[in-house]
Amino acid sequence: MTEAPRELAPLDPAVGEYLLAFADDEHMMGQQHTEWIGVAPFLEEDLAFASIAQDELGHAAALYAIVAGDSSDATIDALAFGRSPRGYRSCQLVEASLPAWEDTLIRHWCYDLAEAARWQLLVSSSNADIANLAVRALREEHFHIRHCDALLDTLLKDPDASRRLAGALERQLPLLESIWAPVAGETETIAASIASAPIESCRLEWQSTIEARFGRQQWSPQAPTARTLRHPDFAALHARINEVLLIDPDAVW
Amino acid sequence: MTIYEVFLKPAGRQEFRHAGALDAATDELALVSARECYVRRGEGDHLWVVRRDNIIDAGSEFVAPNADKPHRHHSGEAVAARRRSLREQALTEADDDD
Repeated sequence: MTEAPRELAPLDPAVGEYLLAFADDEHMMGQQHTEWIGVAPFLEEDLAFASIAQDELGHAAALYAIVAGDSSDATIDALAFGRSPRGYRSCQLVEASLPAWEDTLIRHWCYDLAEAARWQLLVSSSNADIANLAVRALREEHFHIRHCDALLDTLLKDPDASRRLAGALERQLPLLESIWAPVAGETETIAASIASAPIESCRLEWQSTIEARFGRQQWSPQAPTARTLRHPDFAALHARINEVLLIDPDAVW
Repeated sequence: MTIYEVFLKPAGRQEFRHAGALDAATDELALVSARECYVRRGEGDHLWVVRRDNIIDAGSEFVAPNADKPHRHHSGEAVAARRRSLREQALTEADDDD
């Protein structure tokens, strides 16, 4: 059931910046998952990925509404689609096109582990809209991770699949770590008791969870790529997400 | 891969109903796939997945002969007519007693 549009409490612009980075990550991750519709390795995964994509897009829409202070479709669309590439704050992990299924599966698992950790920082938020959304999102992420864990449990028993997944993880390590790129507005967001800790504080546990499955990894000593720098694949992604909208920007759906 | 049959129970005092089937490598994958494929709009408040191999299938020949037994069907009309007749008769007798 679609909720009626409503006005939301105005936010400190710094907090808006912080939430915008999360919203952009969710938007691009959801979009990447939707692009597996019809081409995933088997039908059940095809549908599961589409369903998980809808959850991530739902999180993005809810965050955009909080950032904009208005939950109408027009406002959310303007923020989600109407910015130039330089205006986005997504990490490069969610902007990269990954045509190999093993790369996508590793991204899905690692992203959702980090995503759940980020929502956990918001569950006790002083802003009720954000806290309620975090509780709802965490409930969904529990099942996303369970879905991915079940797939990995099965695939890692197969030597060929195991080798491909380990290779995908190794290949993507610097890209995966871009999710921990600093987020503008974090200091103000913590000072306002909207987030309980810096997202960087979740990074070690995330690395430990990955290593518990795949063994020791050579984590990059370099700082993650900044959220102001777009991945080379972003321009094409941005064009795809706007393709239908630009046919008739004033159309009412 | 194993074929699983999926059953959902809609909310309230409804019975489990067959929703479809899926392929999965393990029971856990069958559950999580069924959740994403069949209940993503809250179509049920309970979910069963059953390995198709665990269903005892009688086969169509087992029940086919029972499809040709018209004497086991009734519309209830004869019983309803007799009850109506007895009711009317009882009313008439009551009027006569007055």
